[in-house]
Amino acid sequence: MNDGTKSRSEERTRKRGEVPDQLELAGGMVPGSAAIVAAATGDSEAHAYGVASFYSLLARPEKKLRVCTGLSCRLRGADEVLSAAREAGLDAEGYSCLAACDAAPAVLKGRETLPEVTPEDMARTGGDWQQLVSSSPRMQTVEGAPNWFGDVGSYDGPLVFDLPAGESEDTSALAAAAELGTPGVLDAIEASGLQGRGGAGFPAHIKWRAVAGMPAAPHFVVLNADESEPGTFKDREVMMRRPDLVVIGLAIAARAVGATEIYLYLRGEFTIPRRRIEATLARLSAAGHLDGLDFHIHEGQGAYICGEETALLEALEGKRGMPRLKPPFPVEHGLWGKPTLIHNVETIAAVPFIVLNGGAAFRDLGRGEPGTKLYSISGHVGRPGVYETPLGVSLDELVELAGGYTGTLKAFSPGGASSGFLPASERTRPMDYKHLADVGSMLGSSGVVVLDDTVDLRWSALEQLRFFEDESCGQCAPCRIGTRYLRDAVDRDIAGTRLSNGEAPLTHVDDAAWQMVEGSICGLGQIAALPLTSARQHFPADFPSDTPPKDSASPSEPEATK
Amino acid sequence: MIQRTDQLPTIELDGRQITFHPGESLLEVASRSGVQIPTLCHDPRLDPAGACRSCLVEVEGQRRLLPSCATPAVDGQKVTASPEHSPRIERHRKSLFSLYLTEHPGEDHPDGVERGAPNKLVRAAKAFGAEDWGKLENLRDDLLGDRSHDENPYIQFDSDLCILCAKCTRYCDEVESVSAITLAGRGSETTIATPDGRSLLDTTCEMCGGCVAVCPTGAMGEKKPKTHKMPVEAELEKVRTTCNYCGVGCQFDLNVDPAAREGGGEIVKVTSPTPAPPPPTPQPRGRTGGSTARTRCGKGRFGYDFLHHEDRLKTPLVRGADGELHPATWDEALAAAAAGLRGVQERHGKDALAFVSSSRCTVEENFLVQKLSRAVFGTNNVHQCAAT
Ligand SMILES: Cc1cc2nc3c(=O)[nH]c(=O)nc-3n(C[C@H](O)[C@H](O)[C@H](O)COP(=O)(O)O)c2cc1C
Ligand code: SF4
Ligand code: SF4
Ligand code: SF4
Ligand code: FES
Ligand code: FES
Repeated sequence: MNDGTKSRSEERTRKRGEVPDQLELAGGMVPGSAAIVAAATGDSEAHAYGVASFYSLLARPEKKLRVCTGLSCRLRGADEVLSAAREAGLDAEGYSCLAACDAAPAVLKGRETLPEVTPEDMARTGGDWQQLVSSSPRMQTVEGAPNWFGDVGSYDGPLVFDLPAGESEDTSALAAAAELGTPGVLDAIEASGLQGRGGAGFPAHIKWRAVAGMPAAPHFVVLNADESEPGTFKDREVMMRRPDLVVIGLAIAARAVGATEIYLYLRGEFTIPRRRIEATLARLSAAGHLDGLDFHIHEGQGAYICGEETALLEALEGKRGMPRLKPPFPVEHGLWGKPTLIHNVETIAAVPFIVLNGGAAFRDLGRGEPGTKLYSISGHVGRPGVYETPLGVSLDELVELAGGYTGTLKAFSPGGASSGFLPASERTRPMDYKHLADVGSMLGSSGVVVLDDTVDLRWSALEQLRFFEDESCGQCAPCRIGTRYLRDAVDRDIAGTRLSNGEAPLTHVDDAAWQMVEGSICGLGQIAALPLTSARQHFPADFPSDTPPKDSASPSEPEATK
Repeated sequence: MIQRTDQLPTIELDGRQITFHPGESLLEVASRSGVQIPTLCHDPRLDPAGACRSCLVEVEGQRRLLPSCATPAVDGQKVTASPEHSPRIERHRKSLFSLYLTEHPGEDHPDGVERGAPNKLVRAAKAFGAEDWGKLENLRDDLLGDRSHDENPYIQFDSDLCILCAKCTRYCDEVESVSAITLAGRGSETTIATPDGRSLLDTTCEMCGGCVAVCPTGAMGEKKPKTHKMPVEAELEKVRTTCNYCGVGCQFDLNVDPAAREGGGEIVKVTSPTPAPPPPTPQPRGRTGGSTARTRCGKGRFGYDFLHHEDRLKTPLVRGADGELHPATWDEALAAAAAGLRGVQERHGKDALAFVSSSRCTVEENFLVQKLSRAVFGTNNVHQCAAT
């Protein structure tokens, strides 16, 4: 396998992976930076420029303050915060969800996320962005840095993640895994029924066995900590509170699939979780628990699409984060073309529990489908936060944990923007993979957003469409043009104007949505129409000028990922 | 090795059994057997991108439509590729091209659609019954185009015609290995750009014109046909010829506007013959095929202005006793040149003469030059400019 000697061409290829980091050092997309980075990495100047222009944090380096304008933050006054910033003379921009929806409205200052920022906080800066501080009680000092934790809780006892317990030094899962050996670990993962928690719900053991059995070398393990699905912040909380589970889970996975190199891809806005992970890595490796393993941390530069696993691999390789065609899947053709196991943070963090307690113990915690689930919940509830419950609780049960509804329930998204909107009548439906797919929605990343009856669903759909339009990688026409076409149509519908050909704005949205589902390369384009199609289906009263859809686009199915 | 066709694997394509050679894509099998599949981002010399989504087909057992350009044929596969055989393909093509047109001037462009090259998108949209869904405003930068006033004389990029098939950037990377241009930006603002938006002249660009040749819409086009409002390519006469700028021997077509210059005809651009269909067995991609594979340098593609230039000499000139140049016949001119050379030889000796021939000469012409030098004038002072 990896004997530590790399060929020259391999070294050159790996050097290219540094392009995004080097661009950050060179000040982002400013004249001359691409040339500097090209010289430092051996990549071409045009490629470096193309990369710089792709990632939000690199493309607009002059923006030091970014106000989240995701749905949860807009429900809690993000618009007022953004205009207060501009009134104070600050060069702030609106930005996609910061994975801090429980602390809405959130603001990114440099690379640090500030919770619950108010218009008054903005006014107090006197026009100097560096002076921005949040007056939120959530601000506390941890490890010498401004820091904060969200609300967490669990349904019944400590369960799998036990977020409130905080980091523990229990490394016994590593010893248990060593004792089980590779076949035993693989069997335990299979018996647990663990499904990918990144969104697709693909059975984990199939990927583990596939990578373990690939003849090509080396193998890689990649952690997907790009958490950017609007309404989702559970991975953040796992890394903040239980970084030990993440690191130990990765070590067990790597040993089981025959990998020595582990890449952690954290979204660039996760400065604080990154510090927690780094501290844990340092501690565990000093104690000798990570011998023979190399951990590489790679920071995202601001692109939701890089959560899609093949776009993530492209980003790790230092390129524009444009998803690859699948097949081949990463288990066969992953990082630098080698067999690669990619998992979401929550999936990986469940591994130590499974290895210690056996697959059945994990499986039995679920209601219908196996295991527990970390639900992020935000919007109109009393205590937004991350709650661990058996997989398959209903919205009503979850909201009860989260401090109850703060208004009259009108609609909710069970799995982030990608899951569209469901009406209040679905409040008792089990929120698991199958039951949500049955109604044309999905569990996805289980980022639950609750909307009360003050919210207009046409407006909400517009916000989600805008998100997908901003975050589409732009590679394929159905998504690149479709997201824009739908957003434009709803904009016109709200403004009461018509299409350029004189037709009513929503005339062709069903056909456009159908094309996005059928024609898009990756999951982003395949689901991007869902906020609109589901809102029209369930809330026709919010689309007063619309004629009801004749045959609405077939319920979109997220792509099968492996 | 020749394989007997009854041993070759087969797919069922629109109900017909078709044999294929392992490694062929569904698109290759289809086009070989006369099943037309529209493509916008495919080029046999490039790695398949699967990005334009025009070529999607139905494959039995697959939930999703698959890009035929990037999907290898597998023995026993059942594939449906034609709208007549599949309402899903029919709806796909109609809605895809309708969507493309919302962002594309289609036939409404003030300068006409096919200003530079033929526009494959507009043709496909017509062929598959695309509808008018209204138009979106173009948000994308024209970093190489009119709005940036790039002073390079040959290439112009118009973002409003571009469908982002990325053939230009991939060609520049994969075939030319130059990487002068890149996809830039993200989402609906994605465009084609040079680093820092500089003029192509200030990049690694070699002005090979390959990006222009592969562009399916004319978005990456030649400045001259665009700015001079030339007729569309279909109305031009093509004259196949071999480039005589150097010895590689690239084939190309002089595109002649027969009506120009009061019916005298004018060469208005130079294009390359369509590459031969790919061989049935997989070949390494990239720089294969040499002179026949459309790869050509900037001289062959853009260096034709002299042909119709008003300063171009059309008859020999001989300097008279008045010190001025006067038109002469070939016989007079050759006699004057011979007399001049003989005069030098007589006054200063044989080796006072030297002969230099051009790399634009053929092997035969070069042979004759050295013959002239050695046998007629008796000097070994002979050189050819490509010999260094
Ligand atoms: C548009 C898009 C965005 C995604 N974003 C994330 C993400 O932020 N985090 C994540 O873990 N998975 C994300 N995924 C899912 C990944 O592609 C992949 O399925 C996952 O990382 C596999 O890990 P798992 O098996 O543990 O879920 C996304 C998928 C798509 C299509
Ligand atoms: S569907 Fe959207 S995000 Fe995915 S590859 Fe296509 S353009 Fe990119
Ligand atoms: S002319 Fe040739 S070298 Fe220049 S950008 Fe186009 S393909 Fe690249
Ligand atoms: S300029 Fe032409 S070749 Fe390049 S991406 Fe646009 S349409 Fe494709
Ligand atoms: S952090 Fe603002 S919506 Fe998620
Ligand atoms: S030609 Fe196959 S996707 Fe473009």
